[in-house]
Amino acid sequence: MSALESLVEDRPREVLVARGLTKSFPGVLALDNVDFDVRSGEVTALLGENGAGKSTLIKLMAGFYAADRGEISVDGKPMHADPAAAHRIGVATIHQDAHLVPAMSVAENIMLGRWPTRYGLVSVNRQRQRALDALARVAPHLNASTPAGRLSPADQQLVEIARAISEDSKVLVMDEPTTSLSPPEIDRLFGVVNDLKAKGLGIVFVSHWLEEVFRIADRVTVLRDGRLVGTRPISELDHDKVIRMMVGRDVRETIAEARPIGDVVLSVRNLNRDNVLSDISFDVRAGEIVGMSGLVGAGRSELAACIFGIDPYDSGAVEIAGRQIAPNDPKAAIEAGIGLVPEDRRRQALVSLLSVRTNITLSLLERVKSWGFLSITREEEIAAREMKALAVKAPSSRTRVSTLSGGNQQKVVLARWLARHPKLLILDEPTKGIDVGAKSEISELVLRLARSGMGILLISSELPEILSLSDRVLVMRSGRIAASLPRSEATSETIMSYATTG
Amino acid sequence: MALENSSMSDRIANQATGFSALRGKISFIDLMQSVGLLAVILLGCAIMSVMSPVFATVRNIENVLQSATIIAVVAIGQTFVILIAGIDLSVASVLVLASVLSVGLVNFYGWSPELAIVAALAAGMGVGLVNGLAVTKLRIPALIATLATMTIARGLAYIFSGGTNIAPVPKLFVELQAGRIFGVPAVIMLTIVLAVIAQVVLSRTQFGRSVYATGGNPLAARLAGINTERVIIATFVISGLMAAIAGLLITARFEAGAATAAQGLELAVIAAVVIGGVSLFGGEGNMGGMLLGVILLGLVQNAVNLLNVPPNWDSVVSGLVIAAAAALDVYRRKYLEAGMRKKVIATKASKPTKPS
Repeated sequence: MSALESLVEDRPREVLVARGLTKSFPGVLALDNVDFDVRSGEVTALLGENGAGKSTLIKLMAGFYAADRGEISVDGKPMHADPAAAHRIGVATIHQDAHLVPAMSVAENIMLGRWPTRYGLVSVNRQRQRALDALARVAPHLNASTPAGRLSPADQQLVEIARAISEDSKVLVMDEPTTSLSPPEIDRLFGVVNDLKAKGLGIVFVSHWLEEVFRIADRVTVLRDGRLVGTRPISELDHDKVIRMMVGRDVRETIAEARPIGDVVLSVRNLNRDNVLSDISFDVRAGEIVGMSGLVGAGRSELAACIFGIDPYDSGAVEIAGRQIAPNDPKAAIEAGIGLVPEDRRRQALVSLLSVRTNITLSLLERVKSWGFLSITREEEIAAREMKALAVKAPSSRTRVSTLSGGNQQKVVLARWLARHPKLLILDEPTKGIDVGAKSEISELVLRLARSGMGILLISSELPEILSLSDRVLVMRSGRIAASLPRSEATSETIMSYATTG
Repeated sequence: MALENSSMSDRIANQATGFSALRGKISFIDLMQSVGLLAVILLGCAIMSVMSPVFATVRNIENVLQSATIIAVVAIGQTFVILIAGIDLSVASVLVLASVLSVGLVNFYGWSPELAIVAALAAGMGVGLVNGLAVTKLRIPALIATLATMTIARGLAYIFSGGTNIAPVPKLFVELQAGRIFGVPAVIMLTIVLAVIAQVVLSRTQFGRSVYATGGNPLAARLAGINTERVIIATFVISGLMAAIAGLLITARFEAGAATAAQGLELAVIAAVVIGGVSLFGGEGNMGGMLLGVILLGLVQNAVNLLNVPPNWDSVVSGLVIAAAAALDVYRRKYLEAGMRKKVIATKASKPTKPS
């Protein structure tokens, strides 16, 4: 035993081993036969475009999901799909936003669910002592009795790390830990990470910011479309090589054809929203497809929400065909001629308990009224026409929309807007979570709509989609438009470069 | 936007069979709550007819239905509120307030009975408006907002009435209670008419559709251009109005402005609505199911009386019925989800093979 130990001592040892992980969700294969290792005393960066499968892999490691196939073992012991079991076996996950109980003290949060007891009562002293031990290692500046809700996001994160340490975790998974941190806070976090690494923890680090990856990681694992691209030591890689691994295949040629471009339909002028958007200005013309690229959290959906009146903005203006529309009023936006296919259709667009027909007519009820009553015949006509036009696959218009596949649900959302003939259609991740066949149908539809003179704002994290459809690509980064690229200059590399650096 | 398309239709066929099989299952489960409820009611009636000679008499059945009318009318309004995922605890207090106003304004202040009735209904709508504004503009949870108005309205009713029942009632109420239409007691007819109107509003008007959408997914409803705040306020106003109408019915039934009546009635009403398959999560349910829920609760009460069960046991039995209905609702949801998952797996299996 000791001989074996000394043999492996000098080189990093695999502490977490995942083999053949496969996980699918309605309409998508999120992970396809992925192998992944975490070594003790190393930082493994997990990279990939949005939707490459990183989050799914993290949730499998955290025990939130059970894999369809494949298994994860920690120190040779198989892990069960249960968050508590993941903690017991030594995998602690720090999620993007802190999971703390705001009203409880730092000490209570560190010991959350494992409060030391004496005679059945929580022993405040022992709790405090154990919490202080953990805090001393990562955040000595924090007071153990402060309510966690009063801490800054950075400090909350440190409390979560302290919790992981107090659990004697072997693997620490950090999902985009730097998103809400300032540069000095990032420096401090990296200090802590290096310290933990030196003490033998295996660390998984997920970030979109390649500079950070090159600062902190020892190895890089890249996922693409749910599959493993490869794992390499950081010393063998540079910025361009990593981007190429992430983007992968040569993106197929643009299929967008020359279309007559008309007058300006959407004009956004100096739009500002505190901490979210700064000084956004751009136009979309009739018949034009404007692609909007950028990382998750760059402010693309937030921009769509401001244009459509879901969220208020501090200053600036949104005009449709030259007329300014009232802020923070979706009804005004709809009446002005905007349609929005939101990112999360189940949460933001569909009423899952209602039928396909009622979901389609939800935004045009005033048009199916006669004498104050809804005309079911008229409704049925509209629904049937739109379902046919978009080839919605459903047994009937009375079927509950929740029973449809992702692609067909998306078509229902599209049908709702197309029935209104909007001047501008905003598509936010229109092909997210839908299968390949439906994806190409939606791409064709977007082109056809543009040809008919509709202005299209296409927000997408899928570079091939952006590149093949857009006449122009706007790249957002940290709430700004970092670049506006004509089709000739838009390549995966330039877009990724503007999105991740600067 | 007539978008012709031929390339998409080829994949329809291979999924159609799976869909229709699933659809059969879902509508079955959907129906289960109403049909199941009806079956339970009929079975209960059959058993009761054997066990008690009094049960299957016109007099008894009429009595059951007549006492159910008050709960039913309040439950119509409550259904609107629960459909938008709210709750209205103030209904019993509003009922009492309307009852004492309808008699008190006549007896104490010499108002005409008709005007007093209008004032009572307006008071009910006023409390509903306050509830709606508190929930939407102040963002107070419905449970808390209506708990507050429940206490306030009951207090106002006591202050106005001096804490006792007010009698005699105007002749109008006596006539209402005694009246019959086609041989059926007028209050029962009135309740049925109100329920039918409510159901038509729910299923056939823009407002009704907006209620389902707001309850089913408030964000999606708002993003589809529905003014969800106005919808929510309207449901509370309807609930206040229906509670006030029930207040008039109780005035007729007790022949008094009933200051001390209807203690805890709000809970019986919520129970009946939930038993009737109206989801507390909002967006699901209808007046037909709700009425069945009201009748079932009324029958339980009646059975307990007729079978000489010790009086306090009726609460225990009612509680068990509520628990059973709630469990059925949860089970139904799970079954729906399981059905969806099965469909996804079936779709996966029919997909072209993936490299493994």
